[in-house]
This record gives sequence, C-alpha cells and structure tokens, in this order.
Amino acid sequence: MAMLEVKDIHTYYGNIHALKGISLTVEQGEIVTLIGSNGAGKTTTLRSICGLQKPRTGSIQLNGEDLNSYKAHQIVSKGVAMVPEGRGIFARLTVAENLDLGAYTRNDRTAIQEDLERVFTIFPRLKERQRQVAGTLSGGEQQMLATGRALMTRPRLLLMDEPSMGLAPVLVEAIFDVIKAINKEGTTILLVEQNALMALSIAHRGYVIQTGQIVLQDTAANLKNNETVQKAYLGIE
Amino acid sequence: MKKQLRHAVNAGGIFGIITIFLFLIGFTGTAADLFSDLFRNKNAAPFLSLNPQMLNMLIFLGLIGLWAGAYGSRKSKSQTDDPWGAALIGGLTAGLVHGLLVSGLALLVGTLNLRGVRINVYLSELLPDAIKLFLVGKSPLQGATVHIVFLTLTGFLGGLLSRGVGRGSWRVRSGAAWNSILEKISQQSIVKQVRGSRNTRYVVYGILLLLVFLLPLRAGPYWNYTIGTVGIYVLLGLGLNIVVGLAGLLDLGYVAFFAIGAYTMALLTAPQPHHLMWSFWIALPIGVLLAALTGLLLGAPVLRMRGDYLAIVTLGFGEIIRILSKSDALTPFTGGPSGVKAIGFPTLFGKPFNSGVDFVYLIFLAVLLIIFVTNRLQNSRVGRAWEAMREDETVSRAMGINTLTQKLLAFAIGAAFAGLGGALFASRNVFTGPEDHNLMVSINVVAVVIVGGMGNIPGVIAGALMLKGLPEVLRQLEDYRVMVFGALLIVMMLWRPAGMIPSARRKMEVEKDKGVIETPDEGRGK
Repeated sequence: MAMLEVKDIHTYYGNIHALKGISLTVEQGEIVTLIGSNGAGKTTTLRSICGLQKPRTGSIQLNGEDLNSYKAHQIVSKGVAMVPEGRGIFARLTVAENLDLGAYTRNDRTAIQEDLERVFTIFPRLKERQRQVAGTLSGGEQQMLATGRALMTRPRLLLMDEPSMGLAPVLVEAIFDVIKAINKEGTTILLVEQNALMALSIAHRGYVIQTGQIVLQDTAANLKNNETVQKAYLGIE
Repeated sequence: MKKQLRHAVNAGGIFGIITIFLFLIGFTGTAADLFSDLFRNKNAAPFLSLNPQMLNMLIFLGLIGLWAGAYGSRKSKSQTDDPWGAALIGGLTAGLVHGLLVSGLALLVGTLNLRGVRINVYLSELLPDAIKLFLVGKSPLQGATVHIVFLTLTGFLGGLLSRGVGRGSWRVRSGAAWNSILEKISQQSIVKQVRGSRNTRYVVYGILLLLVFLLPLRAGPYWNYTIGTVGIYVLLGLGLNIVVGLAGLLDLGYVAFFAIGAYTMALLTAPQPHHLMWSFWIALPIGVLLAALTGLLLGAPVLRMRGDYLAIVTLGFGEIIRILSKSDALTPFTGGPSGVKAIGFPTLFGKPFNSGVDFVYLIFLAVLLIIFVTNRLQNSRVGRAWEAMREDETVSRAMGINTLTQKLLAFAIGAAFAGLGGALFASRNVFTGPEDHNLMVSINVVAVVIVGGMGNIPGVIAGALMLKGLPEVLRQLEDYRVMVFGALLIVMMLWRPAGMIPSARRKMEVEKDKGVIETPDEGRGK
C-alpha cells in the first residue's frame, strides 16, 4: 500500500475549478516531484493534501486512512508537514520560537529536544541565530527555518512547496542537498517545483501537472529524457 | 551660507506663524496664567513697568523664540567651517523674521484701519485684556518694538545655546567624565552584586508598588477618581492587548464587552428597574462571565473574517449594544436613555467599600490580577499560538494550531477583562447609562494600546496613564486641553512610533521599517 494515495480529487476556489481530477501516489521513502508551470495546480494539490483547501470530491489516504475527514490542524498530527510556498515563517518571532511552534502538536519533551538537535545539525546556521527575529534572516536562512520548522513536527510525509523560490543558485543547490539528506534519513517527500531540472535530478519519480490535470507520470530519469518535458520545462529544444 | 540663511528665514517664518496662531486662539494668555501659577508671582511687583502677567507672557514667547533660534541655526550639511558664525547668523535671522511677523501682528491689532472701521477698537472691545497683554500695556508701535527686539534677542540666544550646549566640546568632555565616573562606580563589587541580583529588581518593584499603594491615601477624591479611571483603562488596555496585540484581531467594538460588564453589575445590584439588589460579589463574576460569553457569541460568526472586515463588523457590534441599551423598547429592562442609578457597592467583612479610596484599591487589585493572568498567558503555549496566528494564519493552521478555537479564546478572554473593567466602573460611579459606552471608549482603548506599546504590559500601563491621566493634568489649560493633548499625541507617535514602552518585537519591526535592521534577500524570481 502506498503511503500517500490521492485519488481523483477536484478542488475549487469558489467557482474556479482548480484541480480537475488529480491522482498520485507516494511510496514510503520516496522523493516524488510534481512539476508544472505557474497556475497549473501544484500548490493547490499540496494545500488539498494538508487540508488547507479541501477537495470537493475524491479521496486522499495516508497509510490507508482517509485524510479528508480531518481538519488542517489535525492532519499535522497524522504526520504530514508542510513547508509553505514563500517560506511562510513567523517573521516577528525568533528562530527558536518558530521551531518551537513546529512542535506545537507534540508533548514529548525529550523527543522534541532530540529533534531540535537534529534540526540544528542539519542547519548549523539556525543554531547560531536562535535568538534572532526570523524576519531578519536572509532568504536562504528563512527557507532553512521553514524546513526545520516542518521537521519539528516529526513528519512521515513532508510536503515542500517551491523551496528554490527566490534563492540564489548556490543556495538552491544547498537546499536540494538537504532535501536529499532528509530523505535518506527516512522522511518521505512530495516536492513541488518550478525548477524542474533540479527537482528531477533528486527525485525518484515525477508527475507533470498542467491546468489542474496530471499529463505525464514516470521515473525521474525517464521524465528528464522525455521530449515534451524537455521542451516545456527544461528549456531544451 | 545662502542655504543657511534660507533655512533661518524659513524657521523664523514657521515660528512666526505658530506664535500668531497661538495668540489668535488666545493661548498666549492661558500660558501666561499657567506660568503665574507655576512661579506663584501673580502679585509680584512690576518689573521694568511690566506687570507679572505680561512678564509671564514674555517668558512664554521667549521660550518659543529660543526654540526658533535654535531651530534656525541648525547646521545644514554643507556647512562646516564656521559653526559659531553660522549659529549666530542663523539664530539672529530666525529671530528677526519671527519678531517681524509677530510685531506685524501687534501693529495690525493695534492700528489697523479697514475701510474706515478701526479694527483695533473692535478687537480691543472684544478682548481688551488679550490685546493689552499682547502689547505689554504700551502703544502699538512700542509693543511691536518690544516684540521685534525681544524675539530677535531670544532667537540669537537660541542659536548660541544650540551651538554651545548642543554641540559644544564641553558637553562631550563632561559627558566622558560622567561616564567614567559611572563606570568606576559600577565596577565596585557591591554595586555589581546589587545590580546583577534579581532581588534588586524585586526591591525596586516593591518600592514602586508601595508608592502606588500609598498614593490614594494622600491624593484626595478628585485624583483618586482619575487614578481609578486610569486603572480601569489599564484593564481594558490589557484585555484589548490580547485581542489586538497578541492574536492580531483588530476589534473596534471593544466597548460592547465593557458595557455588558457595566450593565450586568448595574441591573443586578440596583433597586431600579429590576429591584434585584444582589450582592456586588455575585454580580461581578456574572458580569465577567456574561462578557466572555458575548465575546464567544460575537466571535463565532465573525472571526472567519480577517483584518479590516473584522474591524468594521466589531465596530458595528459596539454601536448595536449602545443603541440597544438606550432603545425605548428595552427601557423596562435596561433603564433606557436615563441609565441605571444607585448601583450597589461591595462590602468586605461587613465593611462597606464605597469611598473613593476603597475603589482605587479594588481597581488596583483587579489590575494586579489581570497583569498576572496576562503575563502567564503571554508566555504560555496559548500565547505562542496567538502570536503565530497573528503572523500568518494559514501557516499556523499548517503547524497544527486550531485557529478558530484560539481566536475565540482570545476574544473571550479579552472580553472578560473588559467585563471586569465595566463592572468595577459601574459600581464605582454608582450610575451607568448608554453614553458611558460610546464609540470613544473603544477608540481610547485602541489608542492606549498603540500609544503605550502594543503587546507589552508596562506599555499598556504607560499608555493608560498618558491617555487618561494626562488630560486631567492638562485640565488647567481649560479650552486648549484637547488641542495640547492632540499635539502631544502627535509628538509621541513621531518620537516613539512603536509606543512609549514597546515590546521588543514591535520595536524591532518599526526599526526594520526604518531600515536599521537590514533584511538581506537574494532577490525574487528567476
């Protein structure tokens, strides 16, 4: 059984039909990427999975359990964490407070402390800046913080929305290295990206989404060599 | 040099207009009265044929003149070589222009002859004292001369002072000496121990608290009433601080909960209209609970809105409560427009608690309790969740915070504080009516939170002192009270945009806007 199984979801913003029957699966331990252009429905798919924008029809199952009946704040304790688009850090709170809020749903103090140490090992920069107000961090540091905060929920499935957005190329590579490392430690990742080349280079499998529908699905390597993908998303003629 | 001159002329012109304005609204006379209260020189002997009243007015004008001179001689960036010369010329020019304008006014009110109508005659008849005072009891020409000479001199002096005092080397040197003395003292082991110790802080708090507690015994009924009002506004401010400062929900109808606390206390303890006359101590918690409940009831449908929309809806709610309380239909229940009289007061151990002093202590007690509760809330998980919600509602949901319950909780707790404030307010005043609960209360409380410093307990206390205490202190200014108060508020917000005692966070935010803390960013887009 797949870890995450999304079956034919239709999500609306008011009258706007944003997702027109998306189905995808993520297996335990995988990095799966969802690529597509602006407005294709990538972010909406993630918002649907973590309950911020409920689909009108279709089902979303995590390890066989239906997520649709839970509210957004309850889904977190099911083991789904989100690194939101544009980072979405709490700008006026300190780095430590931001991380602390990641563990909001948890009560196991010692385990939280362990996870905090783990986040600090992955992102030593955050440890240096613990007392600093998050809004004063650089873009790359804010992305680290958003990722670290999501890890503090101790997720089984991590949803990442455009982690490369607005970052310098060097930082993009660093962030993708971290994503790989987190995955190696056992966290399953669903990665939404516009930077298709980077995403496909670390993912195991990929889906291509276009105007609210999945148009292609394959292993990352095959997608990279696919002519349509090359033309539309990799800029190779 | 040319730049400096232009600046000085401008400064003189601005200050001239200000002085003329102050005269025209009659403020110069009031200021003179204030000074005579201050110096207690009402019956002093005349000096240089000027009576004390005129001297006092000249002192007031002199202060403005000094300021004009100091402002006019401010160094422009291109100036470097001859600061003293610049100061003198700047101060002198500013003073001269200032003096010219004011003496022009003096001539005008003294001699103007318009289409055969001698304005000065009318004016003298309208405000003979003001004119006589302004012309220092002399003929228009002499009066004008006095003004021009006096203001030029004070402007010059102001220029000198701003150079000598503001940027002179002696200040730097004396400052250094002073700092080294302070450093020596602070290096002494005892001082270090005392300063470093936590106990010192408690002792300081203790002394402050003791002073505050002794104050009502000496203050007299009028000041006790004022202190009590300030205390009630501290309660309201702390309550709204939770809603606005922590949870980030702009509530402009906060007075509604205040009114519910006040009316609960009134209707349950007064002989009219219900003849219940329950004990204060029963009515108090009922008032607080009812206010909290109303908070929940209002919150449930409204809190799905964000920002401005929420503000408008709550604004409407505040007005609805007030209009209901004075509606004819509800008069048998609420007492209608004439309000509720003879509201009950508390008794404790058989002792009635109804004097002004007693109530001040009761309010102090409530304030201490609320400060304690607020402090605990702020540093709790709940407080953290509120702050996260304020920062980004969607993300905080994605972090597992149930934003709906947290918002309701913030609303209900804030409302409960207001209910407590309202109940105490009604009982102390013995009377409450619809006009006690108008929109101004909401606006004042928002102002208390913003002027004092959002999200910070000492800030809210300072804000309440400023907004509710200061107007009473300014009462001596009579008609100009509101004007001076408004001016002070503007100055306050320019001087401390984050509030008087801002929380560390607010401060950071405002300074960030100024660009003090940089936010390096790699730039957006690809």
